[in-house]
Amino acid sequence: MKVLKSLLLTLTLLLGPAALHAAGELNLFGWSEYIPQEVLDGFTAETGIKVNFETYASNEELLAKLVAGGSNYDLIQPSDYTAEVLIRRNMLAPLNLALLTNCKNLGLGFLKLPHDPQGKFTVPYMTGTVGIVVNTEKVKTPIKGYKDVFQAKYKNRLVVLNDNREIVTWALCSLGLTPNDITPASLAKARPVIAEWVKLVKVFDSDSPKTALLNGDVDLGIVWSGEAAILWNENKKFKYVLPAEGAHQFIDVLAIPAAAKNQAAAHQFINYILRPEVSKIISDKFPYTNPNLAARKLLTAEQLANPASYPASANLKIFRDIGKAAADIDKLVTDLKSAQ
Amino acid sequence: MTVPVVSDHAPADRRRPGWKAWALLTPMVLWLLLFVIVPAAILFVYSFCERDEVGGVIFSFTLDNYQRVLDPVYLLIFVRSVGYAGLTTLICVVLGYPVAYYIARATEERRNRLLLLVMVPFWTSFLIRTYAWITILKQEGLLNGLLQSMHLTSGPLSFLYTPTAVVIGLVYAYLPFMILPIYGSAEKLDHALIEAAYDLGAGPLRAFSAVIVPLTMPGIAAGTLLVFVPAIGMFAITDLMGGAKVPMIGNVIQNQFLQARDWPFGAALGVGFMLMFAITYALLQRRGARLAE
Repeated sequence: MKVLKSLLLTLTLLLGPAALHAAGELNLFGWSEYIPQEVLDGFTAETGIKVNFETYASNEELLAKLVAGGSNYDLIQPSDYTAEVLIRRNMLAPLNLALLTNCKNLGLGFLKLPHDPQGKFTVPYMTGTVGIVVNTEKVKTPIKGYKDVFQAKYKNRLVVLNDNREIVTWALCSLGLTPNDITPASLAKARPVIAEWVKLVKVFDSDSPKTALLNGDVDLGIVWSGEAAILWNENKKFKYVLPAEGAHQFIDVLAIPAAAKNQAAAHQFINYILRPEVSKIISDKFPYTNPNLAARKLLTAEQLANPASYPASANLKIFRDIGKAAADIDKLVTDLKSAQ
Repeated sequence: MTVPVVSDHAPADRRRPGWKAWALLTPMVLWLLLFVIVPAAILFVYSFCERDEVGGVIFSFTLDNYQRVLDPVYLLIFVRSVGYAGLTTLICVVLGYPVAYYIARATEERRNRLLLLVMVPFWTSFLIRTYAWITILKQEGLLNGLLQSMHLTSGPLSFLYTPTAVVIGLVYAYLPFMILPIYGSAEKLDHALIEAAYDLGAGPLRAFSAVIVPLTMPGIAAGTLLVFVPAIGMFAITDLMGGAKVPMIGNVIQNQFLQARDWPFGAALGVGFMLMFAITYALLQRRGARLAE
């Protein structure tokens, strides 16, 4: 096994991006379509620290790279439930809060949440929800929750995220079950519900679910709030509704891997991002919910009125790590999609 | 039948590759080792391992992954993928054969121009071309606009996110891989043989089925392999143009490495996939050898 492991390591080193480490460089591993280039350029212009920016498209991809080892990142951007696993596995370095003076700008409601109860390892970047988008020109009946969306009359008029955990969560919420308690019994209850639902969906898309709505291929969707906010900016006919049965709220955070070499630069970058005027740039480009209250004061009235970015309070559910149950969920949804 | 017998008296250096031959082969051997043998070996080892809580791989020995591969859920997906790839290959042969044959028979100057046209799509990224198809097929897209302006349909039809769209995407992506090998065979076709067929009383149909098709068979076979094998594992087109509604085996494998983070199961699916191809190939070779006898 040792031979295999060293062989694997050689391969990852050969094929993976060569993460060269100079004192003045920051290796940032973040979501695609989430950090504006302007922000990175501004940081480099001010500090002289070069940012090597690599992106991923899912928390799972981030985890896979971190667990495989061999990569050297100074700063990562996991979602809450992924940060929770990383903290539990001692894969994050504790933050030096004395260096993060701009933390005072953050709303208290976004700090010390269950994934990081003491707030020692993570700083919130952006938050958002998963909710329903209704094309009100085509759908006249009021839509309040998942049960109103998944109706026979909307067959082939729906786009939903192509994310198996999300789909199972919606089914569990519609049954009044908690989304983090994935057991064979709860999955058995969700199964018939999801079996009916997948037959009605026209498109499964996580990357850009807004496209099918904009193109007129579908009239209803369950999508990320940032996508919904862009749709609303495009045309006010796209209404955002948080499902009454419970909506997933995600909090994407900034964290420093335990193996990070340039922790000083990582702290500098976090503190830079927390400045109101910098955080505003992020909100302009990616209209998710900004946890930075000082930055919110700089936003226009129209930005703040966007119902997808800043929804009225609702029944929100936070994801927790579910460990091996991720594989059970994948099998269930694959099975049901394939059986239609 | 006669079997060519290799003479025992032939000089040794004519049968055994010398150091120069090995030196020429080294880059390819290294390439095969690094990018085919080693990854396949890793895949094979992983397929017997277990997934840990965060999706890492625990080195152990279990057959659970293979048991799961044989689950009806995945077998059905496998069969469906074979069906889609088979249909794609068939359409590619029917569409590609006349084109390839025509190009092969054209004058040299025209032939080169036509071949260039077959290659032109490769100058643009595959993803961009797929998005172009989305623009054509979508509800408010070019095709629906055309149909409605010609008063052929009253309302927009659904093309995008249907099985038809998937097959259109697959045929579009792989057609050149069918045309080029058939062109290669058809170009070498000796016209005298076709004339001989006519002289011996064959009609056009008979000449085509008894002379032209058998002589271009190597091209059809190569094209079939080049289209069928990649089409069966394709996942981008089913996601983008099929709306990810009906999973193909390529989607399932991709999911294991990303969303489900179950690398050992993904590896087992991959190994099963490779085995299927190896067995099919071996059977075809044996049949080919028997036919030749």
